[in-house]
Amino acid sequence: MHSETSASLIDRISAVTGKAAAWLTLFMVIVTFVVVVMRYAFDAGLIWLQESVIWMHAVVFMLGAAYTLQQEDHVRVDVFYRSMSARRRALVDLLGVIIFLLPLCAFIGWKSVDFVAASWRLREASRESGGLPYPLIPLLKTVLVLMPVAVALQGFSLLLRSLQTLRRG
Amino acid sequence: MEWVAALLFVAVIVLLLAGFPVAFTLGGTALLFAGFGVLGGSFNEALLSGLPNRVFGIMNNETLVAVPLFVFMGVTLERARIAEELLETLSSLFGSLRGGLGISVTLVGMLLAASTGIVGATVVTMGLLSLPTMIKRGYSPEVAAGTICASGTLGQIIPPSIILVMLGDVMTTAYQQAQLEMGVYSPKTVSVGDLFAGALVPGLMLVGLYVLYILGIAFFRPGSMPAHQREAGETVSFLRVLQALLPPLVLIFAVLGSILKGLATPTEAAGVGGMGALLLALSRRQLSFERLSEITQSTLRISSMVFLILIGASVFSLVFRGYGGDDGVRAILEALPGGVIGAVIVVMLVMFLLGFVLDFIEITFVVVPIVGPVLLAMGVDPVWLGIMIAINLQTSFLTPPFGFALFYLRGVAPPSVRTAQIYRGAVPFVGIQLLALLLLALFPELVTWLPGRIYG
Repeated sequence: MHSETSASLIDRISAVTGKAAAWLTLFMVIVTFVVVVMRYAFDAGLIWLQESVIWMHAVVFMLGAAYTLQQEDHVRVDVFYRSMSARRRALVDLLGVIIFLLPLCAFIGWKSVDFVAASWRLREASRESGGLPYPLIPLLKTVLVLMPVAVALQGFSLLLRSLQTLRRG
Repeated sequence: MEWVAALLFVAVIVLLLAGFPVAFTLGGTALLFAGFGVLGGSFNEALLSGLPNRVFGIMNNETLVAVPLFVFMGVTLERARIAEELLETLSSLFGSLRGGLGISVTLVGMLLAASTGIVGATVVTMGLLSLPTMIKRGYSPEVAAGTICASGTLGQIIPPSIILVMLGDVMTTAYQQAQLEMGVYSPKTVSVGDLFAGALVPGLMLVGLYVLYILGIAFFRPGSMPAHQREAGETVSFLRVLQALLPPLVLIFAVLGSILKGLATPTEAAGVGGMGALLLALSRRQLSFERLSEITQSTLRISSMVFLILIGASVFSLVFRGYGGDDGVRAILEALPGGVIGAVIVVMLVMFLLGFVLDFIEITFVVVPIVGPVLLAMGVDPVWLGIMIAINLQTSFLTPPFGFALFYLRGVAPPSVRTAQIYRGAVPFVGIQLLALLLLALFPELVTWLPGRIYG
């Protein structure tokens, strides 16, 4: 089926992105540890290293959002959802994607374009001296556009699957 | 236009009940309200253009970097089966005492709490691990279920829980805002470390009260909590106890100690804790490439879940403020009879009820920013308020029939344990929680003493 293949293609993109970004969590732990050792053992504060942990952290949760949606790990208030039939759930998901998820993503993405473009234009670097150099800051801001796009795509996959469940009756 | 803000709040709660993921429902509903407002001329569109900056602020929030690092540490400890080993060792150590198994569960809950701090996870793990054993050894299902639910929720209050990290961050902002409004231009600050220090005494007090209750049951109703007859060859060596207990204890004390002594920020301590957990898992031969990759993925998903709710909540609060909602809340709270005390009681009651539908993360990011500044401006101590909120919500999660912890346990309990039994078992613990809240209200020093000693 056509919609089935596009849904699973989207799922695969989200999973690959998410799993790749996930490795950054390990680096966050290691780098934080190194920062602490450098500070206490060698009395050296490396600002760019510290900033890189925050950078990785932001990339992790922003780029992981679509994968988290695919894995059903965005918390739901499931007092009623839990006991609904598969059809009912599909209806909730279908409406939720159309009314909440897609508009929200469109809005955040659309509003962020100028914000991101300005950062690239200004060749922004960290405000701290010894902080992260260009182009890491604009690159991080670009995630503000990438996240909504990826989540909207994954939402579209959820929409297709919900439609299938509803059509099957 | 304050009635629109009130309507928005009610609409969000109702729509959340449909069950679509919280992050998107929060942001999506607020956006709809803003959209209609812009069309009808009652909402200033310019307010929304600050959104990218706010989201980028969340991405750059230094305090909250501690969240994924603590999650990483907790997930690693969980995957390395530290909890299982702790529970096994403690229960064989105390098992031959009347009530010993119950006490072991409480202590493991406390230790696990300190490492994971995510309620659902702890209740589920404890339920799977200890409920069958407790029932097999003749514990009444009520007592067993109550003990597990209550111990599982200790995770929120005992530092270093990630919930206290989030609450600390929100309180910092709220406290600054409150002081600016009062005209204090060199505001005092409150930190995550303050909250950790403030939570320590009340957390240990709760553990103490739980243990007292269990001992009381063991003494007065021995039938519901028999001692385990140790079989031959089942004795535990001192070495095994040491092996199971020492590493996680050292890890937790190192993490907490370095924060409380001011040697490290919570973020740094969390990073070191994560490293320690990795080494611990490695030394127990519990760390394969496969498992490491699972740990990173699990950390990413929990982290993404938390921060997307924060993004959704910030869209919500932008729109809620835009409609003058915070002024409305202030007017209501200030007009309450009984002044500060009345306002605190009402806020606590509302949060308790909201705790039936929303979990800790949502309440922290949505409700605390609205009511926090008002209460703090009325002179409430920020650390005390944070701890009261934490224990209040913990109580809410334990209260039948809606408490989250009870649902989680129901999900993993064998069918032979009836839901009514889980409810009945939780009730005495709800009583203990209310007692603790009362004590903290009467003697705020229980919270404020330690932070005062440490940070001056």
